[in-house]
Amino acid sequence: MKRRKFDLAAAPGKAAVGVDDRFQVSTPLRKLLNKVFPDHWSFLLGEIALFSFVVLLLTGVFLTFFYEPAMTEVVYDGSYAPLKGTPMSAAYASSLDLSFDVRGGLVMRQMHHWAALLFMAAIVVHMLRVFFTGAFRKPRETNWIIGSLLFWVGFLAGFTGYSLPDDGLSGTGLRIASAIMLSIPVIGTWVTSSIFGGEFPGEIIISRFFIAHVLLIPGLLLALISVHLGLVFKQKHTQWPGPGRTNNNVVGERMFPRYALKQGGFFMVVFGVIALMGGLFQINPIWLFGPYEAWVVSAASQPDWYVMFLDGSTRLMPAWQINIPIGDGYVIPPLFWPTVVLPGILVGLSTMYPFLEARHLKDRKNHNLLQRPRDAPARTAVGAMAVSFYVVLTLSGGNDVIADKFMISLNAMTWAGRIGLLVIPPLAYYVTYRLCLGLQQHDREVLAHGVETGIIRRMPDGRFVEVHQPLSASNGHADGHGELEYVGWVVPKKMNRLGALGPAIRGFFYPIEKPVEAPVSPGHPPVEPRPERAEIGSGDSRR
Amino acid sequence: MSTHTEHPAPQGREPLDLNAPGLTRFDVVREGARRDDIEIVHYEPQVLPGTKAERRLTRVVAGFFLLTGLAATAFLAIYIWWPWEYAPGRGGDKFYTPLLGATLGVALLAVGFGILTWGKKLLPKEVSIQDRHEGVVDEDSRNITGQTMLYMADELGVKRRPLLGISLLAGLAPVAAVAAAPLVGGLISQPHKNNQMFTTGFAAAEGGQRIRLVREDGRPVRPADISSGGQLTVFPGIEHGVSNKHADSPTLLIHLRDTDADNSRRANERVGHGDYMWGNYAAFSKICTHAGCPASLFEQQTNRLLCPCHQSQFLITDNARPVFGPASRRLPQLPIEVDSEGFFVAKSDYTETVGPDFWERP
Amino acid sequence: MTSDNDRRRGLLARLRGRPAVRSRGRRRLGAAVRLIAALMLAGGAYTVFAPGAQAQDNPPLTGAAAEGKALFDVSCVTCHGRNAQGVEGRGPSLIGVGAASVEFQVSSGRMPLARQEAQAHRKPPVFTDEQVRQLGQYVQELGGGPIVPEGDDLHEDGNVAAGGELFRINCSQCHAFGGGGGALSSGKYAPSLHPATDRQIYAAMLSGPQNMPVFGDNQLRPEQKADIIAYIQETLKNDQDPGGFNLGRYGPSTEGLAIFLVGIVALVFASLWIAGKS
Repeated sequence: MKRRKFDLAAAPGKAAVGVDDRFQVSTPLRKLLNKVFPDHWSFLLGEIALFSFVVLLLTGVFLTFFYEPAMTEVVYDGSYAPLKGTPMSAAYASSLDLSFDVRGGLVMRQMHHWAALLFMAAIVVHMLRVFFTGAFRKPRETNWIIGSLLFWVGFLAGFTGYSLPDDGLSGTGLRIASAIMLSIPVIGTWVTSSIFGGEFPGEIIISRFFIAHVLLIPGLLLALISVHLGLVFKQKHTQWPGPGRTNNNVVGERMFPRYALKQGGFFMVVFGVIALMGGLFQINPIWLFGPYEAWVVSAASQPDWYVMFLDGSTRLMPAWQINIPIGDGYVIPPLFWPTVVLPGILVGLSTMYPFLEARHLKDRKNHNLLQRPRDAPARTAVGAMAVSFYVVLTLSGGNDVIADKFMISLNAMTWAGRIGLLVIPPLAYYVTYRLCLGLQQHDREVLAHGVETGIIRRMPDGRFVEVHQPLSASNGHADGHGELEYVGWVVPKKMNRLGALGPAIRGFFYPIEKPVEAPVSPGHPPVEPRPERAEIGSGDSRR
Repeated sequence: MSTHTEHPAPQGREPLDLNAPGLTRFDVVREGARRDDIEIVHYEPQVLPGTKAERRLTRVVAGFFLLTGLAATAFLAIYIWWPWEYAPGRGGDKFYTPLLGATLGVALLAVGFGILTWGKKLLPKEVSIQDRHEGVVDEDSRNITGQTMLYMADELGVKRRPLLGISLLAGLAPVAAVAAAPLVGGLISQPHKNNQMFTTGFAAAEGGQRIRLVREDGRPVRPADISSGGQLTVFPGIEHGVSNKHADSPTLLIHLRDTDADNSRRANERVGHGDYMWGNYAAFSKICTHAGCPASLFEQQTNRLLCPCHQSQFLITDNARPVFGPASRRLPQLPIEVDSEGFFVAKSDYTETVGPDFWERP
Repeated sequence: MTSDNDRRRGLLARLRGRPAVRSRGRRRLGAAVRLIAALMLAGGAYTVFAPGAQAQDNPPLTGAAAEGKALFDVSCVTCHGRNAQGVEGRGPSLIGVGAASVEFQVSSGRMPLARQEAQAHRKPPVFTDEQVRQLGQYVQELGGGPIVPEGDDLHEDGNVAAGGELFRINCSQCHAFGGGGGALSSGKYAPSLHPATDRQIYAAMLSGPQNMPVFGDNQLRPEQKADIIAYIQETLKNDQDPGGFNLGRYGPSTEGLAIFLVGIVALVFASLWIAGKS
């Protein structure tokens, strides 16, 4: 029997044909490969969160192999000498073993924690980008809501994870969480008792938090992230206005190969930064906190940074207790307002913002072009107000550390926070609003009169005037230059930025003086544009 | 995906004959893009094949990849051979984690920057324009889908036969409850079992039996154990008294100076706690009435007790009244005395609710 | 109260030229009465004794104490008054504070005070160790009080694990888990333990300087004090962090700062480079 010769070179092609015969993937795959993504650095911020989530999954799986979610009391007998013989929960002991008796366990634990902080930080930064550029407007309200939910679900993921080691610091956090639940009127005691399985701390909370932290919350996060990305894909990314860019197209690069390569490279960079931080910066040294004991606490007990704003609001809250004199008397403790009501309001406001703004502006159009923050002064000012509110709360969450290290009275810090929380946001609103208007005005001025050249001319009558370089040719205007229309994109304001969108000098860290020789390669013939479209070129060709 | 998936030939352009002779692969690629309403308007190689620039960039990328290999190998070598087991003090083991992180980080960053340089510098620059087709809503399609759904609703005839709908709802609602019941029912736990919200480990003192105050190691406490201006964390001298099982029981036993003790006694009398102190000693719950942290930063000159979690400050000499911060309720005071053997005992349980506030605290 | 008792006992004993004998019995009844009696006795002894000392201007001081008195009369008398009786509104009486208190305050540079503030700060000490010892001896001979044991290394036999437990229950609430100190009310603070020597930590526990509570030898036995000092010196100060740079051990505040200043900044630069026009 004659054996058919196996043609190695043709094999992949054959396999591909075989796959397509069965699944008819060639058309969808072509669409995927061809999808165009706009390119701007600020569009990569969300990716940081996505990639740190991947790192969280990878390192988290490693940690589950060694962590024991139990509150049974054991006596520590691991290699960390200063805790030897100390009674503690199995959860804390296994967290210590994972740090000291599992080879490379500490670096994994630290990477996991840094990745969690980075995940939340990137979510916030990405959210700010989306907010200030107006990317949440119709048709993307759903994705904005999912994004805000991702912050809160990430918050829960972080808090449950922070509690798992059952060390002195996390136990204190758990204690406060139980007090927050207790403070809810009417049902508080029932909620707390049901979650903790009795009176705090009970014996089951760690294993409940464990299953929430490793299964329920990551599952929810995964689902939300998938929908988030799916919607970005379906609705296509927003883009900045600019030459050739309209509300009805996407100008950028096709997904393959260059865009995908950049994404892959960026994933590695994010992973690398997390690895560097996980190795070089110590985070959450649980061995110094000791096991959780209800009577032990450390000065400067703080939650992770994304919870700190709630800690701050709690610290700033005046001692206003509401007594309800019915029957034996009921009470709404002051803890209820800053920790239950405030987050509730924040969730509501943040998720509803796109609809509020659209309603206010009576805006029902689809928006695929971004706005520069200065072009929407009211929104930018509201955003600045929200950010300053959040920052005052977060700083107040660490006000004891600030007081101690900068030699300020603790009580003064609290009062500064209370006053600041009321005064700074409106101030931020006003200042930002004026700044936006000022920037807008300057843009219009340059468009009307041109760029400042730095050349001073003395007029015959003795006046000195600065010569401006007009941005467009004269169109018979009285003062000799025409007025350009503002298109929502950067207006060149320096002579060396004229004639190009970016700086005329290339190079990221140092200038590259040599211009690129105009390349024409046989492999890539010069492309002639489709007739109905203008070629991307100078600013004059915009439509 | 959407209603406008197939737009093979945009306005006025014939699809390219893919079998035409002389067609380059790029022509095919561009034709594919055009079929997806993408126009590649700018495609420009950044480096020419065979130029010095290309060779240099290739070397840079290769260098990155080789650095990755080097760093990853270093990681493995350190992982295997570096002394890693904890030893007290300073030493090589303390560099294990930093070295692992550094080598892993360098390896990942190098591969990342290698790929990025490859993509950014070696691949041709392009500008493509894709139509969104967003404004273009297919009215017909909308109409058809809407009619189809209405038709289905008509066929089901819920409107004509309301009993079906009502009975279905009536039937399904309990099923939903069945799904929720085990979860809620399993989790729910009566908060006032054994009156636990209102009692502490000192509760047994009610039965006439005196509960001793003990230290963290279980030793009972004599008055002489605490110097004037000192404080000691004490626990109920019962089984598991010094454990998280009695998380609301830790108590701060404070030995006040004479004048402060006098003030404190007078304050006690004002609220009818005249006999709560013993000599110059007073005992207050260590659990903050605000959020339950141990409020234990005792300032012996100002007699303030500060809670490190939210900075509530309590004035010990005024019945531990909150004088600053978010706490709204004074720390409960434990009535104490000294038994016949000279050890501190609790006369009774706390007479106010210990720990953070809740709705039904009377 | 006990310390009052001991103090009086120590004073009388020294007057009689006999060593102080500690008695642990007879503490059951009427402690309050005994306290008052003790105070009256101490006060009485003082009123009887002090004018005599002034009149003679030549109290029976040992050599070191006499040296100490000379230093005291130059540097401390302004605030603490003649014979350390205190000056209303300026400085407290030092009768009965003991050499431990003097040693802590003077050797850590807190005394002499630079200016009146919420709290005295650690400064480079003005006096040499020998002078500190002489000052301590003088105050000790004036009114008795707690004394730090001899030697510079007070934690030789300390057990770090036991010390850690004691540290967490007694010290960490103010000095923080890493010993870096923390804020107290209205501008006061618990100082960092990192510059403190064995003797200073021991003296602070014994004497309760400023707002720190007193941890007498009955509350924390000398061997427990040694455990705590061992934990501070060996584990908190000498034990290198196994996880890299410790960010000052301020807890999650600096970690949050680091993720923005290092993580986010680095990655934003990376994305600027990635998306930049090459």
